[in-house]
Amino acid sequence: MALNPDRIDAAFYAELRRHYSEEEIVELGAFIGFNIGYHTFFGTLKFYPMFSPDGRLVGQEESARIYGAAPTSLSVAAK
Amino acid sequence: MPHIEPVDASEVRDPELRELIRRGEALGVPDALLPRILARVPEYAKALLRALIVSHAEGSVDHRLKEIIRVQLARTAGDPYFAGLRSVPAAQAGLDEDRIAAGARKFEDDPRFSAAEKWALRYAREMYLNPEKIDAAFYAEGKRHYTEAQIMELGAFIAFHYGMQAFTRTLGLGR
Repeated sequence: MALNPDRIDAAFYAELRRHYSEEEIVELGAFIGFNIGYHTFFGTLKFYPMFSPDGRLVGQEESARIYGAAPTSLSVAAK
Repeated sequence: MPHIEPVDASEVRDPELRELIRRGEALGVPDALLPRILARVPEYAKALLRALIVSHAEGSVDHRLKEIIRVQLARTAGDPYFAGLRSVPAAQAGLDEDRIAAGARKFEDDPRFSAAEKWALRYAREMYLNPEKIDAAFYAEGKRHYTEAQIMELGAFIAFHYGMQAFTRTLGLGR
């Protein structure tokens, strides 16, 4: 949806129906669309998580050093 | 035919959802089709419709400017459904198709748009085409034209509508 929306065609939806109900597909699609929009917006605002991976309350400068410019998983950041 | 079939209007029994569908139809965006697809998950439908309508029609940023931005975003997302809808109150307030089209073209050189409107139109365009261009300097320029509350209003509106357009494009609406 985010990178190649042309690939989401009738055949794609037919495959989805083998795994999910129509209600679940609507739920997934709306959730994904919402996140496509908001993550890009939030990315422009330059803010980072309030807590470090080990649960400490940290300032934004320290959080930026921990989480960096690119998204990382908590499991990787905790090591 | 949409890839997900809309429920019949008679199946929408939740009074809050029915009222939101009515509000969308009165606004013109969205019409009843998308709400009847979302209505397969009524609690989602209510939350999403409320956010669509409030972010578009309420707040302190000019609704006509938001309507121009909304159509620009729909064209960026390649979504014929939202690109084909029009706000009734924006049209009643004098927004015409020439100005809507101008907002999706080279608006930077268009004297019909103020510096503040051009910043908002750039905000929408760059957020999804070149988000790295929306940096501290870009926001500093925005603060010369808008309050921080208005910038949040614009940013949330842009993000939400673009996301929903990315979704509705895949549903095959408006084709």
